[in-house]
Amino acid sequence: MASMKSIKLRIKSVQSTMQITRAMKLVASSRLRRAQQRVEESRPYHEVLAATLNDIANSNLEFDSVYLKKRDIKKTLYIVFAGDRGLAGGYNSNMFRMIEAETKGKECAFLPVGKKAMEYFRKRNREIISDAFPLVGEISVSDCFEMARIVCKGFADGDFDEICVAGTYFKSILSQVPQCTRLLPFTPGEVEGGREVITYEPGSEETFNAIIPEYIAGIIFSTMCESAASEQGARRMAMENATNNASDMIDSLSLYYNRARQAAITQEITEIVGGAAGGEE
Amino acid sequence: MPTPFHLQIATPDGSIFDGQATRIIVRTIDGDVCIMAGHTNYCSALGMGTAKLEVPEGEDRYAACMGGMISVIGGETRLVATTWEWKEDIDADRAHSARERAEERLKNREHLSDKEIMLAEAKLKRALIRSDVAGR
Repeated sequence: MASMKSIKLRIKSVQSTMQITRAMKLVASSRLRRAQQRVEESRPYHEVLAATLNDIANSNLEFDSVYLKKRDIKKTLYIVFAGDRGLAGGYNSNMFRMIEAETKGKECAFLPVGKKAMEYFRKRNREIISDAFPLVGEISVSDCFEMARIVCKGFADGDFDEICVAGTYFKSILSQVPQCTRLLPFTPGEVEGGREVITYEPGSEETFNAIIPEYIAGIIFSTMCESAASEQGARRMAMENATNNASDMIDSLSLYYNRARQAAITQEITEIVGGAAGGEE
Repeated sequence: MPTPFHLQIATPDGSIFDGQATRIIVRTIDGDVCIMAGHTNYCSALGMGTAKLEVPEGEDRYAACMGGMISVIGGETRLVATTWEWKEDIDADRAHSARERAEERLKNREHLSDKEIMLAEAKLKRALIRSDVAGR
């Protein structure tokens, strides 16, 4: 059995680790609440945009916008969202695993957002089209518009034939699923019932082309909000588990410690008794 | 008084307005439009400019509105803006100094790259709209 002193030291170190993980859990919880609120707030914006674009794309069959055209897919651009820091359970590695499966055998380029994503693609020498967004925590709405401009231009110029955005979808506090969504070419959804006749000014195509970058920025922004919420959710879970493990460890270590203490006392008594008995003879 | 209609204004930062309005004037990529109750189905993308909202009760409100779209479908008016700043939220002094900075930058435009010129011009335009709204 280990000595009492070494067990005591071990308990102390586990205790301080537990303090850190508990603090991290609390921080992640409060950040998660804020992130979830942001997801909620941005939702109406996103829904209205998507519904309108669908209406336009469905109502007018003759127009052909460059953003609707399907070409042979030679090169795909992925916008990948990952965290800035580790210690978030499987958040980052799940994302990269999905990306590896998704891009297998394809020619692709990447627009990483977040420190971990940047490091990942750089280490593997993948093509990175912009490193202007290294920290996901500092991304603002206008950065999302900047990204939308970059990808729309790349698509319209024919540099990329498909644009996808990969982020982590916040399903619940227990489960966050990495997901890849296609942005361009735009695929209109089915519209139920009869079509409304809508006046477009200056024209349906111009309107559509003006709204598309807006829409893409909207999707990028909402993906970012979802991913940020997922990261905090994953970190919160990971830290909760770590805290629980630490407290289990402290329990079993205290048991060992008490046993060691008892053994030492017993031994001492035996020694005293043995010594006294030896002196009497 | 004109008939009120339901208007919803949303931005990425949340819903700005959701209620009855009598008139909304915004700048689209095709010029200023005014929407009132009973407007035909309509859709356009928004440019950058001053927006004016008139509500059944209370004062008219001004705002700086940049980018996005407006649609009227079946009497439901929805305005989705990239940024929407009410007059009372705009810092006039900041807009003024931003304008001066942008103008200063554009003075030696031959030393700037196309992208820098574009950025500075966009900044200038935003500052001009903001000071215009603040001065109403």
